[in-house]
Parts: sequence; C-alpha cells; structure tokens
Amino acid sequence: MGDVSDAAIVAALRRQMTIATAKQAIAAGNLANVNTPGYRAREATFTDALDRELGPAGRLSTSNPNHLAGAVPSPVDSAEANGLPSRRDGNNVQLDRELLSMVEAAADFSAAQTVLAGKFRLIRYAINEGR
Amino acid sequence: MSTLNAAMEASASALSAERLRIEVAVSNLANAESTRSENGQPYRRRDVVLSTESVNSFDSALGRASATGVEVVGVLEDQSPFQVRFEPSHPDADENGYVALPNVDAAEEMVDMLGAARAYQANLTAIGLIRDLMQRALDLGR
Repeated sequence: MGDVSDAAIVAALRRQMTIATAKQAIAAGNLANVNTPGYRAREATFTDALDRELGPAGRLSTSNPNHLAGAVPSPVDSAEANGLPSRRDGNNVQLDRELLSMVEAAADFSAAQTVLAGKFRLIRYAINEGR
Repeated sequence: MSTLNAAMEASASALSAERLRIEVAVSNLANAESTRSENGQPYRRRDVVLSTESVNSFDSALGRASATGVEVVGVLEDQSPFQVRFEPSHPDADENGYVALPNVDAAEEMVDMLGAARAYQANLTAIGLIRDLMQRALDLGR
C-alpha cells in the first residue's frame, strides 16, 4: 500500500462509479428505445485513453488563466454499437444485452461504493480516535 | 447523480410510451366490431409512432454520455382497407348485404400488447436498478 495515497484510491473509485453511472444511463436510453423504429443501440466509449495519447495537442490552447480548456475531457462518451443484428424496423436494441449491461454496471457501482464506504469508515474511525 | 437522473427520466419516458401502446392496442381490440365512429365510418385501428428524444441534462449539454429517452410523436390511423362481412341483417349493411368492419386484427393487437408489456417490464427493471444505484450512492453518507 505504501506509495498509493488515499486520495488516489478515492479518485479511482470515483472514476469507477462515474463510468458505471454513464453505462447505466446509456443502457437505460437503449432500453427506453427498444420499440423506436430505426433506433441504433449506443454503447459507452472511453475517450480518456485517446486524450492521454494526444496530450496537449488534443486540447485548445489557453493563453490566459481565465480561458476554458476547450472540450472538457470527459471520462465516458457514447457511440453507436456495431456488429449487432438489426430488426426489420432498423432497430438493433437487444433486451437481454442491455439488461445485462445494466446489471453489470450496478455491480461495478456497488463494488466501488462498498470499498469507498469502507475507506470513509476508516477516516471516520481516525477522526473519532478509534471510538 | 445528474446522469442517473437522466437515465431515470429516459426509463420513465419509455414507461409512459409503452403504457400508451397498451392503451391503444386495448382500444383497438375493444372496437374490433364498431361499425360507427365519430365520422360515421367504421373504426380505424390506431398505431402509436415513437421517436427518440434527448433528455436535457448537464451532461448532454457538455457532450458527455447521457441517456436517450423516447417520445410519442402521434397516434395515427391505419389506412388499410376495412374488412367486409356478409351480414344482410346488420343495420349498417350496404345494399348488397355487406358490412364494413374495422381493420383490426386481434392477433396483431395481442402481439403488439405483449411486446409493449415486455418492454414496460424491462424498463421497470431498469428503474429498479437505477434506484438501487442512487440508494447506494446515498449510503456513502451514512
């Protein structure tokens, strides 16, 4: 554990919860449109790897501290899922796939939440001097 | 939390859309033999037209992943021809004894209704899962 700070662990858990939430929202959107003709299922994509790869070249330059950094680097984005068979009405949402992805995201979220709650409990324990 | 709210909103929009589909299928079935409607013609079966609707949220404004809801664009009348049945004793029979009956096919309505009911169920499950996530997030404060 030595060199991993609490803040880094909390930040990582937070990111996991954000990603799980976004996945949940995308799957909910797909489920909502299970009967919309022509709707194409979307899936979460992770842009931070690309952002890291591109580095400063992928962002707007800021010459003044008041400038916004252009596009806010967002951890999760969504794109059309490909390789899914579509129905006759052009819709390619699969009920089981979306429900599975929701359950998966919920499990991810719960796992992160459990660890985070444990982390907070330790901090509270320290604050209360072990009482 | 805003993303979870958007997800909840998307699922809720689907619940009302699917409920409307069931309502329309039920009225189609109920009126399968109605030879007179407001315009004097036999009843025409109705169809619900759905379309995607973006849920306005902070995340969608920032271009981040957000949920997509569904909205009912309209309820349209099916313009396919009426069914005709030979029934000279019917008060609405024409001079040849044929009655024009609504273009409702019971099997089609049942399939529609089943599909809508299953989609409703799926979205209800989704809402349950989203609610669990929200509850878990709130539990962090305990």
